[in-house]
Amino acid sequence: MTQSNWTLLRSGLLLLAAALAAPVLHAETLLNVSYDPTRELYEDYNAAFAKYWKTKGGKDITIKQSHGGSGKQARTVIDGLPADVVTLALASDIDALVTQGKLLPANWQARLPQNSSPYTSTIVFLVRKGNPKQIKDWGDLAKPGVSVITPNPKTSGGARWNYLAAYAWALRQPGGNDATAQGFIKKLYKNVPVLDTGARGSTTTFAQRGIGDVFISWENEAYLATEELGPGKFEIIYPSLSILAEPPVAVVDKVALRRGTADVARAYLEYLYSKEAQEIIARHHYRPRDSEIAAKYAKDFPKIEMVTIKDFGGWAKAQKEHFGDGGIFDKIYTN
Amino acid sequence: MRIRRLGQGLLAAAFIAPLAVAQAQAQQPTMEELLQRLEQQEQAIKVLERRLEIKEETDATAAKSAGVVKASEKGFTVQSADGANNVKLRGLLHIDGRALLSEDDTIVDDQFLLRRVRPIVEGTVGGIYDFRFTPDFAQGRTVIQDAYVTGRFAPGFQLTAGKFKAPIGLERLQSASDIRFVERAYPTQLVTNRDIGLQVAGNLLEDRLAYQVAYLNGSNDGRSSEDFSDVEVNDDKEWAGRIFAQPFANSDSFALRGLGFGVAGSYTSQEGNATQTLLPQYRTPAQSTFFKYRSAAVATGDRTRIAPQVYYYAGRFGLLGEWTEVSQDVAMPGTLGVREDQVDTTAWQIQAAFFLSGEEESFKGYKPNSVFSLENGTWGGWEIVARYHELDIDDAAFDGGGDSFADPLASARKASTIGVGLNWYLNQNLKWVLNYEVTSFDGGAADGGDREDEEAILTRVAVGF
Repeated sequence: MTQSNWTLLRSGLLLLAAALAAPVLHAETLLNVSYDPTRELYEDYNAAFAKYWKTKGGKDITIKQSHGGSGKQARTVIDGLPADVVTLALASDIDALVTQGKLLPANWQARLPQNSSPYTSTIVFLVRKGNPKQIKDWGDLAKPGVSVITPNPKTSGGARWNYLAAYAWALRQPGGNDATAQGFIKKLYKNVPVLDTGARGSTTTFAQRGIGDVFISWENEAYLATEELGPGKFEIIYPSLSILAEPPVAVVDKVALRRGTADVARAYLEYLYSKEAQEIIARHHYRPRDSEIAAKYAKDFPKIEMVTIKDFGGWAKAQKEHFGDGGIFDKIYTN
Repeated sequence: MRIRRLGQGLLAAAFIAPLAVAQAQAQQPTMEELLQRLEQQEQAIKVLERRLEIKEETDATAAKSAGVVKASEKGFTVQSADGANNVKLRGLLHIDGRALLSEDDTIVDDQFLLRRVRPIVEGTVGGIYDFRFTPDFAQGRTVIQDAYVTGRFAPGFQLTAGKFKAPIGLERLQSASDIRFVERAYPTQLVTNRDIGLQVAGNLLEDRLAYQVAYLNGSNDGRSSEDFSDVEVNDDKEWAGRIFAQPFANSDSFALRGLGFGVAGSYTSQEGNATQTLLPQYRTPAQSTFFKYRSAAVATGDRTRIAPQVYYYAGRFGLLGEWTEVSQDVAMPGTLGVREDQVDTTAWQIQAAFFLSGEEESFKGYKPNSVFSLENGTWGGWEIVARYHELDIDDAAFDGGGDSFADPLASARKASTIGVGLNWYLNQNLKWVLNYEVTSFDGGAADGGDREDEEAILTRVAVGF
């Protein structure tokens, strides 16, 4: 073959490859792997972000969502689910992507404001209308004859917040220490007839299957149940002490860089801190970080005393001590 | 006295009876207690139901991510839950027997041989990328028959890279498991077998039209790139293309549905040399060589092939026909300098097959209606086949007297073969083939006459999965 024929052939093949690749390169998709109760929040947020991104000169974007127990979702991403961003229930699940998957740098939490938690939430009780078992505080959950619904802390981030809030309350009781707290937790979990893998499953168990007297729930999930699953059927009880849950978000660098979505993924998370997004967040009963929006929705979020994960020495410590294999939860639940 | 005792008894009974009734009443659960118990039972049932529901959900989720292992007559497969990734282990074993009944049976020794010994690893990754790797260990050597990957980007656009069958000959493109005779007919000897390169292919018009365009290293007639140890020997490449129509493929018409026809061709311009003459030899079905160029002759320029082809399958009956011509520029140093000429070689065949046991004929595979079992009195599938094929070499190959490209006293100008056969499909994976082929020649005898007819019995036990 002559040189000119070679050149012609090469040019033709390059043009063909470019023509075939063009539609693929043009299409922009993002996968947000999140925890169980955020379905509705991100459905609304994704629509708002897609609109915003277009006005900023970006391409049309399709954002896909995946939901499940936070721990389980983290495992799936480590196993290869190509998440561009994760919006999980707790920092230790994203830490697992660092330590086990090497998918993003260890300083991921410093890359966005407020430790990469654009919204917070807390843990409340959902009881049946009229509160027939007269459940007022954590102590009532360990009483004989009370049936408690909460997911499995081994797979659900929300369940870990539930557990820690209960543990913190027990520690604060007169004479409270780790031994008494563990004894209390043991009694509480003896009252749990069903352990779902995620918070949404527990909502189904309590609200739709009619099991249990009280559901230890994310605040937003409790509102969802009262507003959409059974208006007039449930009541929300705020315990005397709860925990400040800070669900974090992060770009999964390794995936986003490979897929060429790093810029849009970063913008997607940054936009969560915008006024518009904070408004959407508040409307879905997550506590907004923005003080102005928080003030506007203050009546929806009663002020209660809360501990934080720092009271447990941070997530790394809490995860290992309480929820790691052979940790306190394993000992309590299996014995 | 007796009256007094009776009175005492009645008195005691009068006192005890109300106490017993009161005690019995005290043991009866109240309505509230009954409702409570009912509620507890109801909760217990709900809990059990929910636990079952969660277990089913967990099992279903686990099943979605669990791999699948399958074993069937088509091989053994390990597959991801979504089917997007799989690896199949298949195999092909052909054990042949050849015997010449001719008087001059020294041309080819009667023999048993391992004609094909091919473990096949094939599969798919990412849902659309198919790969295949087929080594062949038959006849005392190791050859890579197939090693390619195909991206199925769209039905009409599939890109293949690697070593694969060149898209020219119809019977060549038929799987070795599905050919009806022990050896393919003469037209296959004029087309490239397997070669290394790229191919764009696709099916259009709802599979009624197929096309292939390949850009290959280039191989001799009937041969593969392993003749050159799978290494390119020059800078010249070969284009090959094929278009094949099955206009009634989706029709309800029984009579027309199995009709397919098309045309294929190839072009290259290659220069041979003393080490690689790039010229072919041709053999009979019993694999005796009846034509070869003189050792000094080499390919010297254009090699063009054209191959119209057709098949027709209707119920138990099948017909396959193809005609192929290869035009090859040849050069050879002679007494008056270098002789150059174009040699046109043609071959054609028509073969028919008929399932005695009622199965449907098709280009791709067969499925016997029964399996051979003495216990059940079933005999598997039985098929009779017949074909006529011939190969005709251009007179230009024999012109020039002592300077001719081929020796007319050693190479025949034409071979014509009639063959009949019986195929017994013991089951989907095992068949026994028996062929009787008679070949007559024009020329090729040392005395200047025709080479003696060749009668051959060919048989094969074939295992394929």
